Amino acid sequence: MIEVKHLYKSFEDKDVLIDINAVFDTGKCNMIIGKSGSGKTVLLKNLIGLLSPDKGDIIYEGNSLINMSGKNKKLLHRNIGILFQGSALYDFTTVLGNVMFPLDFFSDLSYNEKLARARFCLDRVNIKDSDNKYPSELSGGMQKRVGIARAIALNPKFLFCDEPNSGLDPYTSILIDQLIEEITKEMNITTVINTHDMNSMLEHGDNIYFVKGGTIAWHGDKRSILSSDNAALKEFVCANALARNIIEGQEK
Amino acid sequence: MINKALTTLGSYFIFLKQVFRKPENVRLYLKQFIVEADKLVFSSVLIVAVISLFIGGVLVIQTASNLENPFIDKMYVGYMVRESLILEFCSTMIALILAGKVGSNIASELGSMRITEQIDAMEMMGINSAGFLVRPKILAATILNPLLMMLSFLLGLAGAWLVVKLTGIIRIASFVEGITYCYNGFYIFYSAFKMSLFSFIISSVSAFCGYYAHGGSLGVGRKSTHAIVASSILILLFDLIVTQLMLY
Ligand SMILES: Nc1ncnc2c1ncn2[C@@H]1O[C@H](COP(=O)(O)OP(=O)(O)OP(=O)(O)O)[C@@H](O)[C@H]1O
Ligand SMILES: [Mg+2]
Repeated sequence: MIEVKHLYKSFEDKDVLIDINAVFDTGKCNMIIGKSGSGKTVLLKNLIGLLSPDKGDIIYEGNSLINMSGKNKKLLHRNIGILFQGSALYDFTTVLGNVMFPLDFFSDLSYNEKLARARFCLDRVNIKDSDNKYPSELSGGMQKRVGIARAIALNPKFLFCDEPNSGLDPYTSILIDQLIEEITKEMNITTVINTHDMNSMLEHGDNIYFVKGGTIAWHGDKRSILSSDNAALKEFVCANALARNIIEGQEK
Repeated sequence: MINKALTTLGSYFIFLKQVFRKPENVRLYLKQFIVEADKLVFSSVLIVAVISLFIGGVLVIQTASNLENPFIDKMYVGYMVRESLILEFCSTMIALILAGKVGSNIASELGSMRITEQIDAMEMMGINSAGFLVRPKILAATILNPLLMMLSFLLGLAGAWLVVKLTGIIRIASFVEGITYCYNGFYIFYSAFKMSLFSFIISSVSAFCGYYAHGGSLGVGRKSTHAIVASSILILLFDLIVTQLMLY
């Protein structure tokens, strides 16, 4: 479980996050949704410690990230898997090399055990026969899947995904979403997903935070999102034709 | 202006401190060292060889044509070619060429890793990205580039010898006498030391430029230009300082 308490972040004189409070539960797909530029990526980067907040705190299973020593932070990072918006695969090494990389650095397993673990992760995301390809030889969807395999290689307790299905066709998006949800439930991890994809929210949003103007404007789950009468949320949701039809149908 | 220069200098040293922090996994750093040695040093052998052969040849013609005076022993042609090669060409000129080749390579590689979040991804795994990515580069260049300088020296002499042989511009015997005349081993050390120092400058400055790139591919391009310009100027500056300190 991750708790966010009174988090503030601004750049120069622009306030991006204002008093954010949220709780992300274990074993659930937690989602941060909002328009482009609303501060989702900034919030995620604060959560994982790539940016430090101006005020407030982030609590990982009872341990405050702000007061954590450098050593404990490193240990925490080994329990965090991240899928970046652009996949961020290492292009100096192959698909297999990418998944082996965290294992090489941090596990005491023998080479064969590491190989087995890497193969298992790649199988899990349905990447086969591509061990020796380089990231530039993969399609966007495959890169995302290899990114997920790398993120789960060390059996993380926390998984962060920044727009896992941006730039993918609807079908591949659904596969990636399903994969993330399955992994979350299987491994019982705390997953936080940034998205503005309506499908993802309606299918997998167990715990949704809607960010607007730097604050949490709405909080709920996939069942309540279409029946909410929060004006800002409605406007955001109705940008999607399907959702608009449903909501208009409800109102009649 | 001065303020900005000092801030940059400060962040450069902070960067170096990060680069030389204790490695998480020595074996992987060693493996990376070999990769970088191949990429940064051994891949430059051909260009260094070609340039040195030609410059050696050109130097001998120029020197011979400047020493037409019958009262000067022709042996001095070989001697002067050797001294120019070892004192300046094989270290400083080769380093300037490497600043272009290796410097832009390092800066653009790290720069594109930065803007595609690969460096962030590494940091988030709890890996000291500056250490893992930069230290093997600096060590490979600093330790191994003096070999390139030796190669350049030998091939420069070979180029000169070849030109003498083919054109008969001076007698081959006096050329050979010249290049063995008054041999000073300290010059080899001086040149190797300069090469090491310049390689450190090239690799660390270019890595610094690339590592903090931002602003997309334009930013990366800008940073690789910075890397080449800054390392070239620093090479010339340190050439002056080191020469004053070591030879005078
Ligand atoms: N390093 C930075 N310096 C200054 N401003 C920044 C920085 N990073 C983000 N911002 C600003 O913070 C705001 C939120 O950006 P953010 O990247 O979090 O948006 P987002 O919700 O992730 O959007 P998208 O859906 O397009 O990815 C933007 O207005 C952006 O200009
Ligand atoms: Mg974003």
